[in-house]
Amino acid sequence: MKKIILVLIILISTKLSIAESSEEKGYNIAKSSYESGRGFTDMISDQLMILIDPKGNQVTREISAKSLENLDPYDGDKTITYFETPKDVEGTVMLSHTHINEDDDQWLYLPALTRVKRISSSNKSGSFMGSEVAFEDFSAGDYRKYKWKYIGEEVYEGDLCYVLESYPIYENSGYTKRVGLTDKLLRARKIDFYDRKGELLKTVFFEDYNLYGDKIWMADSMKVENHQNKNATIFQWQNRKLNVGLDNKDFEKSSLMRLAD
Amino acid sequence: MIQNTFQGKIIIFFLFTLLHSSHTNALDFKAYGFIQPESSIYINGDGRHGQDNYNTSLFGKGTFVSYLQNGDAKFTISAISRFDQSDDQLRYLDFQKFKYEYYFDDVTLKVGNEIVFWGVNETFNIVDIINQSNLAENISGTKKLGQPMASISYSQDYGTFDIYLMPYFRERPFSGKEGRPRLLFEVDKNSITYESSAKKRKMDFALRYSSVIDDLDIGLSHFYGNNRTPVLSPNPLTLKFDSHYPVLSQTGVDIQATKGPWLYKLETVSAKEGSERHLGAAGGIEYTYYGIRNTQSDLGVILEYAFDDRNDNPFNNEGIIGLRWSMNDVKSSSLLAGYLFDMRGNSNRFQAEFEQRITDDLKLFLDLSLNGSIDDTDFTHQFKEDSQITIKIAKYF
Repeated sequence: MKKIILVLIILISTKLSIAESSEEKGYNIAKSSYESGRGFTDMISDQLMILIDPKGNQVTREISAKSLENLDPYDGDKTITYFETPKDVEGTVMLSHTHINEDDDQWLYLPALTRVKRISSSNKSGSFMGSEVAFEDFSAGDYRKYKWKYIGEEVYEGDLCYVLESYPIYENSGYTKRVGLTDKLLRARKIDFYDRKGELLKTVFFEDYNLYGDKIWMADSMKVENHQNKNATIFQWQNRKLNVGLDNKDFEKSSLMRLAD
Repeated sequence: MIQNTFQGKIIIFFLFTLLHSSHTNALDFKAYGFIQPESSIYINGDGRHGQDNYNTSLFGKGTFVSYLQNGDAKFTISAISRFDQSDDQLRYLDFQKFKYEYYFDDVTLKVGNEIVFWGVNETFNIVDIINQSNLAENISGTKKLGQPMASISYSQDYGTFDIYLMPYFRERPFSGKEGRPRLLFEVDKNSITYESSAKKRKMDFALRYSSVIDDLDIGLSHFYGNNRTPVLSPNPLTLKFDSHYPVLSQTGVDIQATKGPWLYKLETVSAKEGSERHLGAAGGIEYTYYGIRNTQSDLGVILEYAFDDRNDNPFNNEGIIGLRWSMNDVKSSSLLAGYLFDMRGNSNRFQAEFEQRITDDLKLFLDLSLNGSIDDTDFTHQFKEDSQITIKIAKYF
């Protein structure tokens, strides 16, 4: 009798896996991809942002950041960003408690005003420091922010990749659709973003993948090409270190001033 | 200003501590600042006290931050200085911050000069009391002097407690004889009285509890010490203002709720000076439209109102409608404009500040201040003919 039940279970589960819809398959790949990038606990890095206009003029922005992984499956990570250049914003510090499909909690310390302000963050689609990167792009790999659809497979730069479509759940997202390529190591390689009108807005290329802590692939470069205004942004991570021993106390409003002047 | 021996001693103590600790640790520091030439034109021509219709000024700020003792401690110097062509009260050096902080797990200890801001409002900062305002810099009082203090901060999940001991009081700077705008009379620096017998050496005390509960930022505070605002009375012999600093006991509450693009703000104080108690409340809303007209621009609308139950308080029934426009472009162009009006009378004023980065280390600022109709009973009437345009260019290093 037990054997029969076991056979039945195997049969049913096999059947289920055969019947996996393109939505489920897309979701599962996105989830696995996201989870393969987790477990960093906390992280510090210096970040370089190069803004390039259509004529090829470049300006560079430097920031340094700390982040703390949130193990709560229903909530987002915490980050503190310290702005170094342009020089007129040097000493500005931003604290974010990110949430998955709601507005983040954000505080900003402005040295010119010598005060900490809680700011509205419902502009996740807004430009980060005049670049082609939007605030919401920093968590572009979070499967919980989208509805997914597996489309097929495609060779990209010699690697076979899954083609996944995703649709933002967050109501204030600047996008209606994304089409991305994720390779068999579960690394996002490239994503096309479609704006609120459904037109192709930009393409983000994830490059310079390095293995951190022997287990986590992280892209140390992100290149954004805006197809509409022809601007581009290159975002680079440097001196990235994982698991340096930060905790929640380093990411409170009251601890923000430790980084400030 | 190293104009008194008390601060002089503190500075020497700090420099000694810094030199001493740099023997044992590699000095890890950041240093940055700017110098800013400024030029103002007064639209109404010469001032009513014979001031020129044109003025130039040089302003600068330098900041030095160093982490010591393996990052457990921080030493900060942040100094501002101005050299003004006309007003001798605008020739100064002020150590806004000159402090040493030590971080324990839940506790932060701090000694030295510091700027502490309390409150949530854009315009009517009625809870904010720790630092003296430099009214020679601007009449709205947003420019502060560094306050010498020792403080302890204790943080837990449910909030943060701060205790401040302030052993030395700093008198309020006002515009000098050639300053513009300025009061009807000069403020006599040699005729200052205090309610407290300890005068400047009165140990001022303050306590604050602050907490974040979801989308609420809450602060409860109490201050006991020399009032930062003096009572000015004209002296018929000197034809200057005598100042008197009463002792103030003030309890404040400040709350901000952040709901999507909406910010709701409220500050209230209950204060006692001598035997007289007064109440004040100020608050408002701010709404931001993101990505206006399909651009990266944001437009914020600010509405604030201030009430005070003292009839003689200049801000007893004031409102402001403001606009904040941020282009979010590579040049960080932005405009902040506000129309300030007295709802009891007929006085109003318009102010605007535009800023834009020119190159990576140059930034342009344009400030406009226009006085509209002002009742002759309003305290700002004396500034009526001081509408001005100021251009500033900051060079960062």
